[in-house]
Amino acid sequence: MKYLLCKEFRLVMHPVLPFFLLLSAMLLIPSYPFYVVFFYTLLGIFFSCLGGRENHDIDFTLSLPIRKRSAVSARFLFAVIVEMAQLLLAIVFMLLRNALKIGPNLAGMDANIAFLGLSLMLLGIFNASFFRRYYAAPDKVGKAFVFSSIIGFLAILLLEIGAHALPFMRNTLDTPDPQFLPEKILILLLGIFCYASLTFLSWRRSIKTFEQLDL
Amino acid sequence: MEILSVQGLCKRYPGFALDHVSFTLEKGRIMGLIGRNGAGKTTVLRSIQNLVHPDAGEIRYFSLPFSRHELEIRQRIGFAAGGVDFYSKKKLKTITAVTRKFYPGWDENRYQDLLRRFALDEKKTPDQLSAGMRVKYALALALSHRAELLILDEPTSGLDPVSRDELLTLLMELAREGVSILFSTHIISDLEKCADDITYIQTGKIFCSQPLSAFAGNYLLVEGDDAVPLSPEFSEKLLGKKIAKAGFTALLEKEYAPLCPLPCRPASLEEIMIHLEKEREEA
Repeated sequence: MKYLLCKEFRLVMHPVLPFFLLLSAMLLIPSYPFYVVFFYTLLGIFFSCLGGRENHDIDFTLSLPIRKRSAVSARFLFAVIVEMAQLLLAIVFMLLRNALKIGPNLAGMDANIAFLGLSLMLLGIFNASFFRRYYAAPDKVGKAFVFSSIIGFLAILLLEIGAHALPFMRNTLDTPDPQFLPEKILILLLGIFCYASLTFLSWRRSIKTFEQLDL
Repeated sequence: MEILSVQGLCKRYPGFALDHVSFTLEKGRIMGLIGRNGAGKTTVLRSIQNLVHPDAGEIRYFSLPFSRHELEIRQRIGFAAGGVDFYSKKKLKTITAVTRKFYPGWDENRYQDLLRRFALDEKKTPDQLSAGMRVKYALALALSHRAELLILDEPTSGLDPVSRDELLTLLMELAREGVSILFSTHIISDLEKCADDITYIQTGKIFCSQPLSAFAGNYLLVEGDDAVPLSPEFSEKLLGKKIAKAGFTALLEKEYAPLCPLPCRPASLEEIMIHLEKEREEA
């Protein structure tokens, strides 16, 4: 697996992806819809899959002495590493934002612990919606991305509306840390659970779909 | 020694089916896989790589069933489809660095020898290489992990005559070293230069799979003038009769040569295929 992962980073990763990771710095913008940061993560993963198609990555990978399912696992591991890197950088910039006392985000959800949990849910939703479609038809990676983007945008829209309209979200979750810490930690744990379970289920389903696919 | 054995391979698609495809490739032999566009060559090649799931049939490499020894077998074979067309903007050095990790038996000295022999510059990217050089790079990768069997899909397409000849010479050298080669091609004349065996597919079915000399030796090309009357009995023996620059040409099975009132000569593989395809269409 480590050799396949090495292939993902050296041959498949789109060159713009590391730059997208640095966009976690957008959390320093005084007021901004911060979920957009994670949309760039997903864009980077999509670009890598798109580049993989243009560069005949699947043909190359399956000519190697590996099992078909390993190719799927390596891509999932690549995506998880990228997503976690984005999240870690987001935490760094979130701490920096707090240290700089930039103040509350007027354009959407505050950059706080609950935001991390909700972002993890978004990433999990992307992994569930994108990869299952991608591995059913790797040549139609654009369609898979459009589908997952629509779902992702709807989810972002609901979360941002919720942060303004739902009392629990507005008064408890959309507040500066460390206020309402237990509730926010609960949302973070829920986010971790959603991310892990959606990604795991998507991985299993993608393997099954890809194994059955005639290339 | 049997290197590759395909027995009863079936795969059904809407409008096309591979129908009990069977053939065997022996050690150190070069087999050409021929057939018209859409005859099923690529489906066969993809099926024997497990990229397409056959509905039925058995594929064995080195006398081992592929389904149960896939990883072990993949270490011993090399695939190339018309040269490297993957990661066109990455340096060869990077592609090789990634590839070699998958093969414990990777022979770096041999790889470096092949780079020198093929005049390949590792600092270049695939899109900076000519079609011929890309094929050579694909072969360098396959041969550096000591592949005992090369499966090549249209390796000579897009190459100029000199590059094709170089590649065919290389394949013959490899065969003499004991490497077995299965390759599909539309350039039938290439096979006459290097192939030991022919597997000929027509609309998903094997028309024949046998030594090239036996296959080609079975047919003569009749070159006739329409002005010369032919008996109905003899006309029936002509296969794939078609208009030629002067009169007509047709295939004749060698056993009927004594009956032939017209000049005839040994047919080239290309002529055999063209006339057999015409015969099939008319039938």
